[in-house]
Amino acid sequence: MAELIFERELNRMFAEAPELGDANLFALRVDERLQRGWTVRRLMIGGLGIAGGVVGGAQLLGGGLVARLGDATSQSGRLLTGKVIDLVQAGIMPQSLPPDVGMFWVAGAFAVAAVGFAVTRVMKEF
Amino acid sequence: MADSTTERASAHDLELVALAATGGRAAFGELIRRHGSAVRGLLRRMGATPALADDVAQDAFLAAFEQISDFRGEGTFQAWVKRIAARLYVKRWRRDARGQAAAMLADVERETVTVGEAASAARLDLEEALRALSDVERLCVCLCYGGGLSHAEAAEALNTPLGTVKSHVKRGLDKLRRRLAPGREFDPEEASGHG
Repeated sequence: MAELIFERELNRMFAEAPELGDANLFALRVDERLQRGWTVRRLMIGGLGIAGGVVGGAQLLGGGLVARLGDATSQSGRLLTGKVIDLVQAGIMPQSLPPDVGMFWVAGAFAVAAVGFAVTRVMKEF
Repeated sequence: MADSTTERASAHDLELVALAATGGRAAFGELIRRHGSAVRGLLRRMGATPALADDVAQDAFLAAFEQISDFRGEGTFQAWVKRIAARLYVKRWRRDARGQAAAMLADVERETVTVGEAASAARLDLEEALRALSDVERLCVCLCYGGGLSHAEAAEALNTPLGTVKSHVKRGLDKLRRRLAPGREFDPEEASGHG
């Protein structure tokens, strides 16, 4: 029993900590080290991102993907133009609307941007 | 700004921990201000020099910030950081003990501290009494009573058999009991009057 009480007393003594005079300075030092850690982390992530981007870009260019993408785009553009002309001839689409494929691409891009903006806003809210 | 500083100063540890868990460094800074001295004090009691104690305590708080989402509030924040700090100190002690045990375990330099009215005789007695223990006894007693580790956890941290740790703790406690209550048995009534 006496031993238990002594141990409890010992715990209490250990819990009594002297307040050191440089407590604020110590906190600042830890904060500085935290800040340094974040800066290093950010630089590493940025550096790795750039390196990854460069490697990825080089792979894309080297693989001739851009040229193939251009071919595919012009083919799909021709196809789309043909379909629009068919729609106009069938009387479904009014003739006043110019069957310019570029317009559709721009409209599509705006739609994607609008959806992206909306998703960003929703994510910020939650 | 002043308002938020005031709010932080009056906030409960758990609120500050929740803020720190979302990356709130200011909230974590308040936790360091509150508990930094206790953690550094424990490390000094374990036998670290003031400079080493500060170094290990900084590492402990950095580790605590990294793992703060692991803190479930089952004990106090201070006890949690003390456990981290005690383990880090033991790790360093074990590493450095190979080459420079003597330097690491030199008598703890005394530094002028602002203790104010809280400098109770009991605490000063404890500092004195701990000096009477061997390095390993002091380490074991501090790990178990200051750091809140169980005997098994202390044995694991020290990479020492459990029985050896228990022996060190027992011998250390006997010495402390004699130093803290010289010439008489420890008085339970007096002790319970403090708590």
